[in-house]
Parts: sequence; C-alpha cells; structure tokens
Amino acid sequence: MTDTISTVSADPPAAPSDPSTAAGVDPGLVAFIYHEARLADEARYSEWEALWDDSARYWVPMAPDADPETQVSYINDNRTRIRSRVAQLNTGVRHSQTPPSVLRRTVSNFEVTDAAGDTVTVASNFVLVEYRFAVTLWAGRYLHAIRRTEGGLRLAAKTVHLVNAGGPIPTMAFLI
Amino acid sequence: MTVTDQAGPPAETAAGLRPGDVRALVQPDRVRGLVYTDPQVYDLETRRIFGEGWVFVAHESEVPEPGDYVTKRIAGEPYVVARGKDGQVRVMANRCTHRGNRLCNADKGNSSSFRCPYHGWTFSNDGSLSGVPMRDGYGEAFGEIRAGLGLVPAPRQETYGGFVFASLAPEGITLGEHLGNARHAIDRLVALSPTGNIQLSAGWMKHRMYCNWKMVMENNVDGYHALFTHQSVYDAVRPAKVSHVPSKTETMVRDMGDGHSEIDYATEYRRLDEEFVWFGRLAREKVPGYIAALEEARGVEGAHDTLVIGPPHTLIFPNLFIAEMNVMTVEPLSPGEAIAYTTPVFIPGHPEMNGRTLRRSEGAMGPAGFLIADDGEIGARNQLGLAARHPEWVTLSRGLESDVTDATGRINRDKSAETPQRGWWKHWAAVLEGETPGSEAQS
Repeated sequence: MTDTISTVSADPPAAPSDPSTAAGVDPGLVAFIYHEARLADEARYSEWEALWDDSARYWVPMAPDADPETQVSYINDNRTRIRSRVAQLNTGVRHSQTPPSVLRRTVSNFEVTDAAGDTVTVASNFVLVEYRFAVTLWAGRYLHAIRRTEGGLRLAAKTVHLVNAGGPIPTMAFLI
Repeated sequence: MTVTDQAGPPAETAAGLRPGDVRALVQPDRVRGLVYTDPQVYDLETRRIFGEGWVFVAHESEVPEPGDYVTKRIAGEPYVVARGKDGQVRVMANRCTHRGNRLCNADKGNSSSFRCPYHGWTFSNDGSLSGVPMRDGYGEAFGEIRAGLGLVPAPRQETYGGFVFASLAPEGITLGEHLGNARHAIDRLVALSPTGNIQLSAGWMKHRMYCNWKMVMENNVDGYHALFTHQSVYDAVRPAKVSHVPSKTETMVRDMGDGHSEIDYATEYRRLDEEFVWFGRLAREKVPGYIAALEEARGVEGAHDTLVIGPPHTLIFPNLFIAEMNVMTVEPLSPGEAIAYTTPVFIPGHPEMNGRTLRRSEGAMGPAGFLIADDGEIGARNQLGLAARHPEWVTLSRGLESDVTDATGRINRDKSAETPQRGWWKHWAAVLEGETPGSEAQS
C-alpha cells in the first residue's frame, strides 16, 4: 500500500481535511472511484464500461451476508452481462432510463480493506440522489476492487450494499 | 377537539359503491380508467379480493424445517407463516393477542416460540399462548385467557403444489374451485422437478412500483407489449425466444376462467420439438444429473416432452404469477403503489439447474432486471396517463372477434390478443360485485 504522506517531504503535511490522505488511501484509487461515480451519474455508459477489467463482478446483494450462489441478488453481473447492461442502456429505448435519471452522488469514508497482489479493495460510503418522477435517496457502502494493470487501473469488482437492500426498493435501472 | 364516532359507517357505505356500480365499469371490450385510480374501488378490492377471496401467501419450501417462519402481508395485514414442531405450516396473524404488537419482525427466521417484547407474552409456533408473565394478575380468568388468546389463524388455508393460499373469510368456495383450470399451470411447473417438489429458497426481490397492483399483474399476460416495452432487450441482447408475429408462431393466449389467464407457448414449443427453448436453449449435456433424474421419474419420452413445453407463463387471480422459472406475487399499497415480489424456482438437488435459474432471474426480473425495470417504468407512466379523466375507457378489444372457446378456456391464437385481460376484468367485476365465483371454468 502506498503511503501517500511519506511522499510529501519538505512541504507541509497534507491538510487533514483531505479524506484520501487522512485514511492513507492512494489518491489515484480515490480519483478512480470519483471518476467511476461521475461517469455513472452522467449516464456515460460506454466510458463507464471501459473502466472494467476483463474479469469482473458487479454485485448488488439483498443482504450483506448473502450467498450469491444460492440467494437472489438485485444485480449480479459478470463481464458479459455488464456489456449487455450497457448495450441495453445505449439503445435509447431502455424506458426505465429514457431519459436517464438525473443523478449525483457523493462518495466518502474511504478505507482500504484488502490488498492482495495487483488488486486493492477500497470500501467507502455513498449517498446518491436520483431525480426521476420525484427525488429518491439511495445510500450504502461500496466495495471497489481495483486492479493495477499495464493499461492503468481497472475495476475488477464493485459491490453495492444498499442500506435498504432488504427492500422494497424502487426501479434501479441506472448504474448504482 | 371534536369527538367523532370512531366506529364509522359500515364498509358498504364507506366504499361508496352500490351494487352494479362496479359492473358498469367493465364491458366486454373495455374498462373504465378509474379501475386503476379510484380509492373507492381500491377499498372494495381490499375487502373483497384480499379480505375474502383466496390469495397466495407463501410456498411451503420457504419454511422447510420445524420452527422456520416467514413474515408476509396480505394487502397490508401482517401474517406469519410458521412450520410447527408437528410439521404443520400455519398462516397466523402476526399480532400479539394482548395489545396488538407485531410479533415477528424479521423477514424470516427459526424459532420454537414467539415472544412479544412489549409485555413478554409468548406463543408457541403453532400459535398457542404458552406464557404470560405475572399471570396472577389475571386471577381466576387466566385459564380462559390462555385458552382463548392464541394467535389468530387465517380463517381458511389450503395448499396446492406447495403453494400456500389463505382466505380471510370463514366461508366461501374451496381453493380447488378458486384455482379451476389454473391448477394445471402449477402441475406444469412442478412437473419440471423429478420429485414433483419445487423450492423457493433464494429470497424475494422486492420491487416498489408506482402503479396500480392490477397493472403489475395483467401486464404479465400481455402478449402485445413485449416488442415495444422490451425493445431494448431485443435490440441489444438477444432476439425473442419465439416470434412475436402471429402468423409465424403458434403461441396463444388463454382466459382460463375465474380470472386466471396465460400466454401458452406449449403448442409452439412442441412444433419446434426443441428442449429448453424457455431456458436460453440450454444444451441438455450441460445438466446431465437433472436429465437423468427427470428421465427416471418421467421416462425418456415424458422427460423430453416436459423439457420441450417447459414451465407455464400463467397468472393466477389475484396475486400469483408463475413466470416460467420465477414466481411473482404482488401486494397493493394504495391505488397507485404496489410491491412486486419475485423469486426464482429451484429444483431441489440440482444446483447445476438452480445456478442458471438464479442468474436468469436476476437478469430479467426485479428493480434492475432487463425486463421488469421497464415494466415498472411503463406502469408508472400508465398511472400518470390515467390521471387524465378522458377518454373514460381503456380499450381491450384486440382479438375479441377471433377468441374461441375450448375445454381449456377461451383462447386466441394471436398472442397479442387481449383475451387474458378480458378474462381478468370479467372475473374482477364479479368478485367485487359479490357474485359467487368458481363456476366459470365449467361454463
């Protein structure tokens, strides 16, 4: 794990209000997560898809301890299904996102929860406001597994633990 | 503050509808738009359809072991479905008989007894009152209280194919009479299991929809909308499993009577004589254990036919939809809001099938599903459109002149005919008018 503070020598220590530095999370990883969030917010579907590694899992379970092999999830996409999901959104007739929901999310409370080999898992909290027929508030915890590759950072897995995963939840056809 | 009469007027008056009023909302080829929006209609549905008629509540496989329980609601009323140590599955009001606290608060669990946190009253999972703290306070009356204040069972409960239904009215037609021809759909589903048992153990997706509950249900047997509502799936992911063009397919729609209806692919699938068209055209070599078990149970030809015709696509009035290898049920919340619950159908002992079913279910169904998310959106817009009071009618005449009647019901060989909707509304009006249902399938 890169210690970002140690790279700052003679300069004053980074402001403690910088959450990424305060938590010791590589700013490059945080920037990647912010970028991923913004592409999702702005319905830039193909650019969002390009963040994913060849081996991928996009998972929104119904409970934090759910077994995805026996319990139904709201989303459990492998790489092929991520491609299909984006292709469907790109048709322009995915009615549940035509027009796209207006979205803005904040992501915070970054913590590295796992670092093995070339992959780092960053946990964070998010709050997402969706405006469609009305304002809908979404919130939860993200787990981004980010892989360092020769081509740069790639998203290997994104898990979304919704605070209201137990449901019922409204239509969630946008990229959570 | 003014003291008002809390008892209120009788329900008939409160609903504000008189005999014949509902009948006037439904004609053979059209219904009034307000059937989806009117609070008085909604109140009457809550009382007649969910408060008296047979409704799907749970599947026995959700509570496989003694002590297992799940909590459910029947149009807002909380119920617990529990398997007692005697193995019996009971549907009981989820309400402490003392002061009314909701007793079980988890979606599911396992417990031999339920203890109310308010005053500590404890009920065995067969419903009997087993413990009352400081019982001396009830004096001589205690024995009577203990005997009389067990959990209140649903007035009637019956099971078919493991599907547990309840009626909150003490008297009425039997479940068999209610199901009528629709029992064949349950038979067709469970026939896919070598043991005849299915397993609904994956949990229920819970999708809040901003439309009337009937729209959720009748859309499921609408063979007309797919090419349009679901165009994005066909454009981006895969073509339809069979053609939507009537002249190119033998897929039919059927009003089975008693409000039940279906889109029936069996004739088309038999014409193709191809297994698993309904399951992504899976090669049988991928599931050898399942094939072997099914052939042992049904014989080689029987297994082949079972795998050709596959599961049903059938709506069982009022709240059960067998969507091939998914089960959907709906709970009304208000005229314009409902919750759709969906779970995949597992075949016990065949994880190689169930894993595929699970992934297919997640792909198609629920709030993020490739199909149902768009149905939810269209439903919400439909509700918004119906806020316009004119035109007064919603048109359901498609295929009216080409419907034919046979032993299975009223069928139309054009899948896009609105035959299922006509059957739904005819029965709906009869139930709301308080007419005795149960004989339509035989007529």
